[in-house]
Amino acid sequence: MARSDTKTADKAQRPGEGRIAMLLLAPTMIVMTVVGLYPLLHSLYISLTNYNPTFGGGSSLVWFENYARAFSDPQFWNAVGLTLIFTAISVTASLVLAVALSVLFNQRHPGFVVLRTIILVPMLITPIAVGITWRVMMMPDLGVLNYLLGLIGIPPQLWASNASTALLSVILVDIWQWTPFMFLIVFAGISSLPKSPFEAAAIDGASPMRAFFSITLPMLKPVIVIATLLRIVDAFRTYDTVYIITRGGPDFSTDLVSVYLQRVNFRFFDLGYGSALSWLTLVIVLLVVLIFVRLTGFMKLVADKENR
Amino acid sequence: MASQKPLLSRAAKLAAAYALALIATAFFAFPVFWMASSSFKSELDISQYPPVWSFTPTFENYAKLASELDAFDAFVNSAVIVGLATTLAMVCGTMAAYALARFDVRGKEIIAFEVLSIRMLPPIVSVIPMFIIARALGIFDTYWLLAAAYGLAGLPFVVWVMRVFIQDIPQSIEEAAMIDGCSRFQTFWRVTLPLLLPGLAATMVIVFMFAWNEFLLASMLTSQNAKTLPVIAANAIKPKAIAWGLASAAGVVMSLPVVVLVLMMQRYLVRGLTLGAVKG
Repeated sequence: MARSDTKTADKAQRPGEGRIAMLLLAPTMIVMTVVGLYPLLHSLYISLTNYNPTFGGGSSLVWFENYARAFSDPQFWNAVGLTLIFTAISVTASLVLAVALSVLFNQRHPGFVVLRTIILVPMLITPIAVGITWRVMMMPDLGVLNYLLGLIGIPPQLWASNASTALLSVILVDIWQWTPFMFLIVFAGISSLPKSPFEAAAIDGASPMRAFFSITLPMLKPVIVIATLLRIVDAFRTYDTVYIITRGGPDFSTDLVSVYLQRVNFRFFDLGYGSALSWLTLVIVLLVVLIFVRLTGFMKLVADKENR
Repeated sequence: MASQKPLLSRAAKLAAAYALALIATAFFAFPVFWMASSSFKSELDISQYPPVWSFTPTFENYAKLASELDAFDAFVNSAVIVGLATTLAMVCGTMAAYALARFDVRGKEIIAFEVLSIRMLPPIVSVIPMFIIARALGIFDTYWLLAAAYGLAGLPFVVWVMRVFIQDIPQSIEEAAMIDGCSRFQTFWRVTLPLLLPGLAATMVIVFMFAWNEFLLASMLTSQNAKTLPVIAANAIKPKAIAWGLASAAGVVMSLPVVVLVLMMQRYLVRGLTLGAVKG
């Protein structure tokens, strides 16, 4: 009770205003329940049935049959594996690039502000348009990428048309599209760092390398952790660009979870099974986030922020 | 003589910094440039190899957008749906954020957690029930369905970020206004809201961006009447005859509003995109 009393004090809530708070919260709660929570629970129910509208729309409870089927579905686990690889490589690469770019642009030479703004543009381009553009550029016979590679003496590549390079190609597109997002955030973090530790390190004769690893990176940790977490969640649901560039092919080499799920649901209309798969995906995402949060001490970072 | 070497090495470092910065900018800017230039190429120019760099620009792709892809209808659809969704999310979300920031609400942590977990939810999970429910209610392929879906997707984000922006405004300013005889509502309207405007605008732009660019839900919850721009752009890609110039033109038309709006709000963007956790 004592704890909530101190909280009330700094909220300056006046007597009789409790009802106003409920009134203000009501629309959000209603929308979240009707459009958010209810469909979620409905999907949990469907996942326990064999519902498929192409067979007349009747459905019966099959309990955990869909989940059992999922565990022995090599296609699904192939998709999960590919998505994990996709997420790991894309997020790591864009983080490293973003930190490097932030250090570079933090030198603030004339003209850097303009270049920095230009670099932000890819994250604003509609993902479908990103897919279209890269598909045009990666055409093995007519594409401009192979032409540019030819200028520096590299033989033409098959890019997304070859099963062994397709995944790397869509990862490249993802890195291109989302490094700007990481860069925006990490740069904001780097430019708000205090000056004095760096001055002290310079006086003590620390090299710029040493200062980067011993001062910059540790002080940037909260910012990097938050940016990475948001990126992981979003990379896991990547759909638009891959749908445009490869549709999961060739030979299922870019068959990410969301692409496979879309096929189960809206090509085969196997909605019961599809719902079970989406719930499994949700659990996997939560597990990944949980592991990440554990490894980085994310909750502690958030708690420190609240108590500052 | 002694100062010459450091001067030289400083010049070299400066040159290296500019070189790296220009290479990085070229990597991120080139595809955007290529999309824009492809959209002005004729069908003949676009299928040339080696690619042509100078050509007579033509607007035929943009003209075709309207005549072949119904881009104008899709643009109107996108604008109406995204407008409705953004309004819904901003109005409801800001009200809830104010309550969470200023009042002592029971179960506040639970509400905050619920809000955040909807942000984490992959849209693929809710698309099936939405599809089934929409069919049952007869709202499949209407503005309302997509507007509700996008509104929901934006709502938790608005609540979370606006709460941080409201907490940034000192409580004492509101108290002073209320001591002077303003009601809670007048205080909000005349004191808090003007101070919140930059935050509101930034949040709105981000909600707008996500809804405007969304494709997965739009492609599955529409068929004829409520198709949005990303859906018709994806339709330009057919397995056999791919109209690249047309598709690029669609890409430009789709992306331009977001690029312009967001770059205008750049200053407040970081705060919003990191759910208020990082100050820009």
